[in-house]
Amino acid sequence: MSERKSKLWRTIKFFSERIPLHKMSFESMVSKKEVPVHHMSWAYYMGGLTLLFFSIQMITGIFLLFYYQPTVSDAHASVEYITFFVKSGFLVRNLHTWSSSCMILCLMIHMITAFAMKSFARPRELTWISGSLLLILTFSFGFTGYLLPWHQIAVNATKVVLQSIEEAGRYLPGALSTLPTYIKEIIQGEASVGQATLSRFYALHVVVLPLLFFGALGLHLLSVQLHGMSQGIDKLAKKSEKFFPFFILKDFWLWGLVFLVVFILSLCLPFESFYSYPLFEAYDALGSTPDGIKPEWYFYFLYYPLEILPFWVVMLGMGISSIGLFMVPWIFKNTSRKVLSIIAWIIAAYLIIMTFFGQLIYEIFKGSHS
Amino acid sequence: MKALFILGILVFMYCSSVFAHPEFQRYSKEVSGRSINCAMCHMHSDGPVGLKPGQIGSLNQDELNALGLARQAFKPGSGAKSPILNEFGNVIVEQLGKEKILMIKQRPELLVESLSKTSDLDSDGITDVEEFKDGTHPLNSLDGHPWKLFKNNLLKNWFHILMLGLATGCGLYGLYNALLWLAMKARREE
Repeated sequence: MSERKSKLWRTIKFFSERIPLHKMSFESMVSKKEVPVHHMSWAYYMGGLTLLFFSIQMITGIFLLFYYQPTVSDAHASVEYITFFVKSGFLVRNLHTWSSSCMILCLMIHMITAFAMKSFARPRELTWISGSLLLILTFSFGFTGYLLPWHQIAVNATKVVLQSIEEAGRYLPGALSTLPTYIKEIIQGEASVGQATLSRFYALHVVVLPLLFFGALGLHLLSVQLHGMSQGIDKLAKKSEKFFPFFILKDFWLWGLVFLVVFILSLCLPFESFYSYPLFEAYDALGSTPDGIKPEWYFYFLYYPLEILPFWVVMLGMGISSIGLFMVPWIFKNTSRKVLSIIAWIIAAYLIIMTFFGQLIYEIFKGSHS
Repeated sequence: MKALFILGILVFMYCSSVFAHPEFQRYSKEVSGRSINCAMCHMHSDGPVGLKPGQIGSLNQDELNALGLARQAFKPGSGAKSPILNEFGNVIVEQLGKEKILMIKQRPELLVESLSKTSDLDSDGITDVEEFKDGTHPLNSLDGHPWKLFKNNLLKNWFHILMLGLATGCGLYGLYNALLWLAMKARREE
C-alpha cells in the first residue's frame, strides 16, 4: 500500500514540476516574464511563426470548406471551381498550400533549434513531448490534406504510402505481420483508394486532427508560458528583454513581415507551378499514370531512402527515430549543448540534402545499379 | 455488327496515326525537362483514341462531322474546330494547317518558330510558344514557368501588393503603440 502511495506521490510530483500551476498568473506568465538575449535568440521566434502559419491554415481551411465537396466525383471539380470561379478562391487556396509548407518548415527549424538549445531539459520534458506530438500531427495534416484535391499525384502518392504500410508486415514476426494490412484497411476503408478513403481523410483532416492539434497546442503553449523561455546557451545570458511588450512586439512585426511575403507568394506564384501539369489532372483510375508521382517535399527525407535502401532498413530507422523523438529529454539528459548542436547540424544537413538533392542521389544510385 | 466493329477498329487506327503527334510532346518534354501529356493539345490527356470524353469514340454525329472538316484543314486559316483538340491544338491547326504540321513532325523544333510569338491563350503573361518550350500548359493560367509567372503576376498585382504592404505597416504601427500603451498603463498601476 505504501509502495503504491509513494508511486502516486512521485507521479504527482513529476507532473506538478512539469506543469507548475502555481505560476499561472498574469505577472508570472506575461508582465514579469523575461526572454534571454543571445546569439540564438532568433530561434525563440520560430514557434510563434509556426503558430502564425497554423492560424492561416485554419482560416483559409474554413473558407475552402465552404466550397469543397468530399466525393470522388466532385472533389477535383470543386477544387477547380474554387481556383478559377470563386472570387479570390485561387488566393485562399494558394495561401493554404504555401502556409502549409511554411508551417512544416518553421516547425522543423523550431524542433531542431529547440534540440540544439537543450530546451527539452528538466522541467520542460512535457513541452518537448507535446511539440513532438504537434510535429506528427502536422505531418498527418499534410498527408491527409494531400489527397483531398483528388488529382493524379494525390491519389497515386497516397496509394504508394498505403502500399508501404502493408509492406511493413513482411518484416514483422507471427501474428504481428497482419497488423500493417489491418491498419492499411482501416485507413483505406475499401479494397483500393476510393470514396471511403477520401471520406476518412476528409474527416481526419478537418475534424479529428484539428481537435487533437488544439489539445496538444494548448498543453505546449501552457507549458512554454509556465516555464518561460529556456536558457538556450551554456552560459547565462548577460542580457534579457521583457516578454511583454518588447518580445511580443518583435514577434508581431515578424508575423506581419512574414505574412506579407507569404501573401505575395500566394498571389503571384501558384504552388502547383513547380510541378508538371499532368499531375494535377483529375484522377482517372482507367487512365495512364503520369510521371513524377511523389509525396510532398517535406516527406522527401523519408521517400528517397525508401526508394534507394531496403524497405526494412528505412522502417527500422523510422521506428527507432519515432520512439527516440519522444525519448529525447531522457536520452540526451546529460549531453552538452555543443554535442547537441553537432547532432542538430547533422539532422539539418540530412533534411536539406534529401529535400534538394534526393532526386539526384536517387538517379545516381539507380544508375549505378541498373 | 462484326463489320461495324472492324470498321470501328480501322477508324481508330487511322485516326490515331493521323491525329496523335507524340513527336511534339517528346520535344517539349526534352527541352523543358517536365513531364507532359497529350492534354497540352488534345481534349483528353490520353490522346485522341478511346471512348472517354473528348476522344474519338465518344463523339456524336455533329462532332464527327466537325472532326471530318478539321481533318481536311490542310491549309492555314480554315477556321475548322476539331472536337478532339483543345483551344491550343486548334490554334496550331489554324495557324499552320495540317500539311505543315505533318511536314514538321520530324523536326518539332520548327513548331516553335512557326507559331505566333504573341498569342497567350490563358492570359498568364507567358506566350503559348514559351509555354510549349517550358512544358507548361498554354491554357492553364496557374501553370507556367515559376519565375516567369511570379514576375508577371507581381507586375500585374503591384497595386494590391502596395496596398497590402501599407495596410500591414499601418496595422503593425497601431498594434505597436497599443501594446506600448498597455505596458505603460500596467507599469503605472503597479
